[in-house]
Amino acid sequence: MKARLKAVGSRLLQLVVLLGTISTTLFLLLRLSGDPAILLAGEGASPETIDAIRADYGFDKSLLQQYLMFLWDIVRLDFGRSLVNSQPALGFVLQYLPSTLHLTFLAVFFNSIIAIPAGVWLGAKPTQRRRKILSTVVSVAQGTPAYVIGLLLIQIFSVWLGWLPSIAGTGTWAWVLPTATLSFALAPNLIRVVAASVEDTTRQDYYRTAKANGAAPNVLLIKHSLPNALLSTTSLLGAQFAFLLSGALITEYIFAWPGLGLILVQSITNLDFPTIQATVFVVAYLVFIVNLLMDQVFRLADPRLRRSQL
Amino acid sequence: MFKSKNKSLLTLRISASILGFLFIVALFQPFFYTVDPAASDLSMRLQSPSLGGALLGTDALGQDVYSRVIAGFRWSLGIGTVGTLLGCFIGITLGVSAAWNRKRLRIVLSRVIDIGISFPYLIIAVTIVTVVGRGFWPLALTLGLVCWPTIARVVYAETLTLREREYVTAARLFGIGSIRSIFTHILPALRPTIQVVAAFTFAELLIAESGLSFLGLGAPLGTPTWGNMLNESRLYMESAPWMMFGPVTAIIVTIFAANLLGEGLNAREQSRSTRVSQ
Repeated sequence: MKARLKAVGSRLLQLVVLLGTISTTLFLLLRLSGDPAILLAGEGASPETIDAIRADYGFDKSLLQQYLMFLWDIVRLDFGRSLVNSQPALGFVLQYLPSTLHLTFLAVFFNSIIAIPAGVWLGAKPTQRRRKILSTVVSVAQGTPAYVIGLLLIQIFSVWLGWLPSIAGTGTWAWVLPTATLSFALAPNLIRVVAASVEDTTRQDYYRTAKANGAAPNVLLIKHSLPNALLSTTSLLGAQFAFLLSGALITEYIFAWPGLGLILVQSITNLDFPTIQATVFVVAYLVFIVNLLMDQVFRLADPRLRRSQL
Repeated sequence: MFKSKNKSLLTLRISASILGFLFIVALFQPFFYTVDPAASDLSMRLQSPSLGGALLGTDALGQDVYSRVIAGFRWSLGIGTVGTLLGCFIGITLGVSAAWNRKRLRIVLSRVIDIGISFPYLIIAVTIVTVVGRGFWPLALTLGLVCWPTIARVVYAETLTLREREYVTAARLFGIGSIRSIFTHILPALRPTIQVVAAFTFAELLIAESGLSFLGLGAPLGTPTWGNMLNESRLYMESAPWMMFGPVTAIIVTIFAANLLGEGLNAREQSRSTRVSQ
């Protein structure tokens, strides 16, 4: 139990350091790049508004005082109000969270059911031909950014064929293209890692022993190869989840999917700093949760870790 | 084994020639234009590609898509190069210092690297770009500033094993100082590893850069970059799909070549190390 608490504590420390660094950087950049009140007020604001914002945010105080106030606000999770609709920024951002999570889970799910069987197929019997297929798929797909895939999918399925809608919220099938886009972007890497780890298990001693004892190929694969191979896959899935939160930035924008990515892009276009900051914090927090969960999954999945840490 | 070695050399040569050619295009771009990429002629807007006129068609302002794609090379490859160099500099410095030190510094630095790796850096890049503004240098430096974690981790792992090599230990026993040993023993031995990560980082930064421009957060509006062109093309997907195909091809070819270069370098390195061990 103590070890587990310690692991959680070290992740928590990571989160604090990350958030501290990001917010300090933002604070300094915002102050260095001219009068923040003008920046916050947006273009074409009247002098009264700028003065009001200056007093409101305490920009007339010393830099150190401002910084301490800023940190205190963040500790209380008060990011200020959105400059666009004057809702509290955090609440405003959180409204969009479910939509992003929805898309993320769809993408991880479809990615897994495509990439894991493909990876196992490639890794279980690494023949020359299968290897060639693998390296071709991976290197082609790696060279194609997610938004290019998204645009091509829209061009083919929405514009030319007219089968699927390209904008979120228009019809029951609106989730298909964004999910396909993200899965396409993630699958090659997952296929590669699954294939490599399945192949790796077939070289282990315990595998050879089981094989020599006459275990059937299916038993070998399901009972001896997969559990170990999927262990290393788990950490990649975690990393992909984190990637989705930023990769979805562009995909959400293309498909007008109302999630964190879209809200980040919009608030950046509007120079809505409270919202930007709240979004970055929410994303960092999600990454933290995912990492924490991954730690736990590892402990559950790997008996060695459980024994050594309990 | 011979066959695979020749093949990896071939990959290396092909990808290096493609990239080399693309860099030449970027450097001497005026020679490759058919017309001035900034010249717009509203009477010629949304023309479909033709051999006699605009090779890849024209966009909504009547600008030549082909010439704008060519102009995009300088922007993209330039940002990729500057960003990769800066990222390598930070990554190597952090990675080597973390691995060389045996005390506190290592713990702190390797934690920093862990944190950096766990967070999607595009989000940070986007946020910084908002404040520092658009343009070539802000974008290139921002991307360089956020892309180092992967490089740092690879360099860190490699330096850890290099440090235990006999020749490094011997040098230490002869009283050769840390700084000198790092520059004469560690960095040259790291070179092949760094080349591989640098190639992959370059490809990644190209994706990041065109993505940011696509979102309208990178290049100033109207600059001929692939991301901007793709963003403009979204409005004309039905009437002028060719606006998209030029930049898409350029992006895919360039990133593919950079990834191929990384794979080739990696394969060459691995075939070398197996030869040594045999």
